[in-house]
Amino acid sequence: MSDDKDMTQHWRPGELLRVETDRFFLRSLTPDDATEAYVSWWNDPEIQEGLNAPARGWDRQRAIKHISQFDNKTRFHLGIFCKNTNKMIGFFAVFVEQGRKVAKTNVVIGDKDYWGRRVVHEVRARMLDFLFDVLKMEKVKGEIYGRNIGSIFNYKELGFTSEGILRKEINHFSGGRADVYLFGLLRDEWKARRSAVDAHEK
Amino acid sequence: MRNDASLSTDSWTTARHLLGSALEMDGSELPKDTAIGQLAEWDSLAHMRLILALEEYLQTQLSPDKLVAIGSLADIATLLEKWHLSSSRG
Repeated sequence: MSDDKDMTQHWRPGELLRVETDRFFLRSLTPDDATEAYVSWWNDPEIQEGLNAPARGWDRQRAIKHISQFDNKTRFHLGIFCKNTNKMIGFFAVFVEQGRKVAKTNVVIGDKDYWGRRVVHEVRARMLDFLFDVLKMEKVKGEIYGRNIGSIFNYKELGFTSEGILRKEINHFSGGRADVYLFGLLRDEWKARRSAVDAHEK
Repeated sequence: MRNDASLSTDSWTTARHLLGSALEMDGSELPKDTAIGQLAEWDSLAHMRLILALEEYLQTQLSPDKLVAIGSLADIATLLEKWHLSSSRG
């Protein structure tokens, strides 16, 4: 992994963040990033279904308002950019409970050409390094609203444990009720997994 | 603790067939310890195909707890074994 542009070692809370993976870079979004594509993802029913929401009906100003509420201290809204094209293909959100040392993440791949191309695995793995190594989190958790098989797979693939299912916990956006699937990954579990991968690659 | 050795040949064969189809490969040679994270072909889209194929085979939607439990060939074979046993009881 190239780290010449990876800012994590020198990053300070409140500063814009940039992290690198093999194929992508993630960086804090600013109001200028409220592009037509970004806005369209919030208005795409197929994409929003993964967030248990209908198409939002946002305009650019509403999208800018959303981007502006993230502080790069305990709330991060990072665009996922393809290194080859510099094109934003999705976004990664992080919500930190500082006192508990627990972070929650969610990922949206808005560019459907990148669905099924292991983007989530690559970017989430890198962000786990950031969350555990730099932010010193003890646990990272994920919540899946409704029967999102792809998201369940993505958490399992990175070693998250299914910690429970909250039955009919929330209103499903299309009517009726939906379950909430809870996943969690502990710091020691991620470290052990990374050590095993590093040993295998040597 | 699950005893994979007790699973029937039929369950393993069906599991290999379902998983192989989902991965778009010949499943007959898949090792018994095949699991998520071992094969590049087993990505999120393949996993969706697998779950849908399982549910079509079982003629029922998987419950949430069964859904999250599917992570390996052995998990699939175990699910099928239990279904076959419950079906044979009538």
